[in-house]
Amino acid sequence: MLTAVVIQPSGAVRVSFVSAGGEEHLIDPSECLFEPENPVPAGTKIEQSECGPGPSPILPEMKELAWSGGAFLVFAILMRYFLYPRLRKGMDARYNSIREGHENADAARSGARSEVAQYEAAVAAAKVEAAKVVDAARVTLESERNAKIAEANTRINAKREAAQRDAEAAKAAVRGQIESAVSDVVTSAVEAATGKRPDSAAVSRAVADVMSAGAR
Amino acid sequence: MEALSALVAAFDPAEGDALKAAEAASTSGFAYGLAAFGSAIGIGFLVGKSVEAMARQPEAAGMVRTTMFLGIAFTEALALIGFVVFILIGL
Amino acid sequence: MIALEFPPINEVLRWKDLFPGFNKIALIVVAAALIGSLIFLLAGNKDPMKAPKGIRNLAESIVEFIENGIIMQTMGRDGLGWTPFLLSLFVFIYLCNVPGVIPLLQMPATARMALPLFLSLVVWVVFIGTGIKHQGGLGYLKSSLFPPGVPKALYVLVTPIELISTFFVRPFSLTVRLFANMLAGHMLLVTFAVLSKALFQAEGNPGLIPVGILPLAMLVGLTAFEVMVAFLQAYIFTILASVYIGSAAHPEH
Repeated sequence: MLTAVVIQPSGAVRVSFVSAGGEEHLIDPSECLFEPENPVPAGTKIEQSECGPGPSPILPEMKELAWSGGAFLVFAILMRYFLYPRLRKGMDARYNSIREGHENADAARSGARSEVAQYEAAVAAAKVEAAKVVDAARVTLESERNAKIAEANTRINAKREAAQRDAEAAKAAVRGQIESAVSDVVTSAVEAATGKRPDSAAVSRAVADVMSAGAR
Repeated sequence: MEALSALVAAFDPAEGDALKAAEAASTSGFAYGLAAFGSAIGIGFLVGKSVEAMARQPEAAGMVRTTMFLGIAFTEALALIGFVVFILIGL
Repeated sequence: MIALEFPPINEVLRWKDLFPGFNKIALIVVAAALIGSLIFLLAGNKDPMKAPKGIRNLAESIVEFIENGIIMQTMGRDGLGWTPFLLSLFVFIYLCNVPGVIPLLQMPATARMALPLFLSLVVWVVFIGTGIKHQGGLGYLKSSLFPPGVPKALYVLVTPIELISTFFVRPFSLTVRLFANMLAGHMLLVTFAVLSKALFQAEGNPGLIPVGILPLAMLVGLTAFEVMVAFLQAYIFTILASVYIGSAAHPEH
């Protein structure tokens, strides 16, 4: 049974069922896709349509069932006992190596972290040490400086006192010279006025009194 | 319709065959159409709801998708049985 | 005027024997098993310690897709022992689906009843076997036919439904889902291919010839869609097998 859809030039569509006996092409019964329904005597040619509609397309064919079943079973058994375990072993080995690599990396990272921590601790200790040294040095310097300043001060004071003493002595010497000179002048003046030489001790006493009063 | 076709068949066996085939063709068409009808609604509803679920909880998308395919497989089975019936009675 | 003749369905589904007892479907399934084995064999030969690339990357991605995308989502960590079975199921179904869009082959092996039927029978046997192994024969029957938490009176209703749905509908729907999806895709491609061929060869009306572009474009689009369907059906078959096995092993889930 063939379905024919005929579209005519006018646009009309006609659907009809036609038998395929239009062209004559005779075939051998063995060329049918399946055993013809009505057995034909050997050697006679039949039309294609005489092969009949054949068995239902839904029915399984034994040879296909056997081939597909065999192929699947062989494939599944190969997969179960040979192909899959081999692949899986490789995958597991790789995953394990990757995991090991990760673990090694983790260990290395934590080792490096602890080393960094140690280094930082050492650096901190060194810093404390250095600060201590610096402090001590500063204290020493301070005291040395203070000592030097004190020494310099004492030296300066000593020098100043010596200078003062010298100045005093010079002043006293000068005063003594001035006194004797004034006494001489006063003695000669008194001698010229009175004609007699005054007592030098009395004159120098009077001059000293006047001068110390004037100096006051 | 059946009475008519039987009548025609009585007069002309070839015509009767053609009528039977035509009837089978239209019946199988209806069989497949009706079978597909319900499944189409079902699958549409199912996928729509699944998309809604995936949009609400994207982290559960994998599970929803698996369940969606399972549901589609079950819903579709009826339409496919309709298709097989279509082939059985139509061709 | 064009005449569009849709070939009889047996003509687009059945194939003559290439050798006695060995037709195109058999060729596709054998090729699928060989290619699948070859991929994993070559992948296993590569050095596993290097970063995977090429074929090893492909194989490992498939394995991880099965483990993370299917088993972990349905069975949890306990189910990882099922990886080789589900892996071979997925790879085999995908490699049988994908010839539906490969030029010259153009036939998914799963569009014939034999392969889906066999695979779902295997899954059926496996999940019942798992249930019996984990819970004992009677325990498995009890947990699957008398689900806990249902009022006693309702067992009259629930038990027959569970019996039919667990032991009969499951393999049936597994089979029909895979088979009908691939058959429908195949028929769709055939339809549009026939239509565009008929339009391109329209005699007596040259105006129809350019119109053939439309079904051809549709054919290309549907081919892309079938590539996706091939993957999706393999995924769904595998995930359902996983769910059934998981529910047989741990009924409380």
